[in-house]
Amino acid sequence: MARSSNGRPWTFYALAAFFTLFVLFLYGPMSAIFILSFQGPTGGLTFPMNGVSLHWFKALVAQQRSGDFVGSFSRSIMLAIIVLAITVVISIMAGLAFRYRFRGATAVFYMAIASLIMPGLLLGLGVGLMFQFAHVSPAWFSSALGAQLTWTLPFGLLIMFAVFSRFNRAYEEAARDLGASPWQTLWLVVLPILLPGIIGVALFGFTLSYDEFPRTLIPIGSRNTLPLEIWAMTTDVTSPALYALGTLTTAVSFVVIAVALTSIAVIQRRRARRQRRRTDEAEAGSARTGRPPGSVRAPTRSGDA
Amino acid sequence: MAQSGHIELRSVTKRFDQTLAVDDISLTIPHGSYCCLLGPSGCGKTTILRMIAGHEAPTAGDIRIGGESVVGLPPVRRGTAMMFQNYALFPHLTVLDNVAFNLRARGVGKAERHQRAREVLAQVQLDQFAERMPAQLSGGQQQRVALSRALITKPRVLLLDEPLSALDEFLRLQMRGELRRIQRELGITFVHVTHTQLEAIAVADLVVVMEEGRIEQAASAHEIYTLPATAYVARFMGGQNVLAGTVISVDGGAATLVDGTGARFATPVKSMTPAKGEEISCCIQRDRVEVEKLRAPSPSLGEATNVLAGTVHAIEYQGSYVKVTIDVPGREQFVANLAAHAFLIAPLDIGDAVVARWATENVHLLTGDSTKTPTGVRPPPLEARRDGSRRR
Repeated sequence: MARSSNGRPWTFYALAAFFTLFVLFLYGPMSAIFILSFQGPTGGLTFPMNGVSLHWFKALVAQQRSGDFVGSFSRSIMLAIIVLAITVVISIMAGLAFRYRFRGATAVFYMAIASLIMPGLLLGLGVGLMFQFAHVSPAWFSSALGAQLTWTLPFGLLIMFAVFSRFNRAYEEAARDLGASPWQTLWLVVLPILLPGIIGVALFGFTLSYDEFPRTLIPIGSRNTLPLEIWAMTTDVTSPALYALGTLTTAVSFVVIAVALTSIAVIQRRRARRQRRRTDEAEAGSARTGRPPGSVRAPTRSGDA
Repeated sequence: MAQSGHIELRSVTKRFDQTLAVDDISLTIPHGSYCCLLGPSGCGKTTILRMIAGHEAPTAGDIRIGGESVVGLPPVRRGTAMMFQNYALFPHLTVLDNVAFNLRARGVGKAERHQRAREVLAQVQLDQFAERMPAQLSGGQQQRVALSRALITKPRVLLLDEPLSALDEFLRLQMRGELRRIQRELGITFVHVTHTQLEAIAVADLVVVMEEGRIEQAASAHEIYTLPATAYVARFMGGQNVLAGTVISVDGGAATLVDGTGARFATPVKSMTPAKGEEISCCIQRDRVEVEKLRAPSPSLGEATNVLAGTVHAIEYQGSYVKVTIDVPGREQFVANLAAHAFLIAPLDIGDAVVARWATENVHLLTGDSTKTPTGVRPPPLEARRDGSRRR
């Protein structure tokens, strides 16, 4: 066998090298942009760094000749929140509905998925044409919203399928058996159990909308979202303000992901912590009564699974 | 709502698409009794339970509880509560909130519902686990939580879907006694679905043996075990040897039959007298068989009835008795359960030539198709279930 002296096969080194390349490709450009965004006031678009400053971040907000950063950023955030809300609500409803094999379920499913396969630019073009035909002027909150939903809804639906496939319907039946109305079953049992998956859908809805480009390009109307504004800037802004913008938007994405992951972790931790705190109380209580807290525990635990 | 947990199924049929799950079943379960629906998987027992619970609607027929039709009513209005297989405890709620769920759904205030749930948990010695999540409990504890959650609704009928299958052997034996005790204490009707013969006859007043959507026999545990109605029940419950053949004579309250190998058996005939030439089957309980060791192999049995000659295939010591399996040429294996003390006086060994004998008065006549065997080719012997209980 071709083994090196310390016992690792040559494939280990080949794959390690490949992985290193992958990481360089992934983070190299991002790091370059991140570093260059702190370029000194007299520096240019390329290395070397000419001092270190926050000059280009200030230039962004000052809205000199670097485009409508504040406006497009707030539009993008608003749009992403609207898309998130609609995607979550419709995906949950569709997930619930698709558990029944209703007439035409397959056709509806493929129609929903088709917009994932269709080239985004063409889809955006279609939306734009439709609005023009109807003599409605396109805007970020109407035509662009619709175009983005064609992208986020199928994703949300697919995630909800995965979430529901692991959901045991006995929970719903148990709730019904215990006298819960359909609404109570949904609010008290189904949605809380599915909450981590729902947060996942929300996260997808937000980030897909926040950096959506091809579908939004044509039906956006007169006021750009952030990705479109960045695109416009790359053609006429020739200062490191562009990099500052990249650093800021990346930071926003990370914040959103962190918020989502933290909220999932907090939900799970809170459930566990509540248990731990109360168990401590129970143990304190049992110390008083002299009954060990595990006294009722079954002698064998192999049936726990 | 009537308080009686008297259940009546009238010609109930259930179809799923084209599959017939329950085929025209009529059954009466008296108020305050413990009924076990017993059968192999896919026999329709769980479907019946779910129809009584209101989680499935019958395709045809009527279901009555306490004399009133409950078809179309939601579970709560039926006065039933169900304990689900694997319990279906809500994973996001504490034990206390699980037990209090019914009260929450009814709009009872938080303080009161927690107070009442604590009382119920105290009855099953789980009060100190009230704030735990279900996943942090052992199987036996989860089962008691599920029981408490169902019983807080004060049902007149408790429906249990394989309540013991998620437990290990030790807990299973402990909990089945516990279930029986709780049923007695509450005085309500329990309907318990199981595929384990021993579990059914250990707890039930009424055992309903099912096969392919029909009831093979509904009777007391003792009757099901010692006086099976059909060859299927005899084989499924174990404890019996099934004998089949053609009637050659009927006289003096007994019929004599001869099977394909020429062996002759006699069976008492009671109300139903078979005609000469008719194919019938009967059974002899394994512990009513005597086994005698032979000096010379393969003796000529001639025209003797209720005698089979063969060689010992297996010997299994079972504590109070010894199970002796005998290979008989040309027919299915014959089993004799010999009392342990008698076996020790005249022991047998594998390969010994033996004859098995039994008295005609201990033979029991069966009705129906003698060839129908429980699914899984070999009839599940009762003894095997003691250690070979099914795992998920």
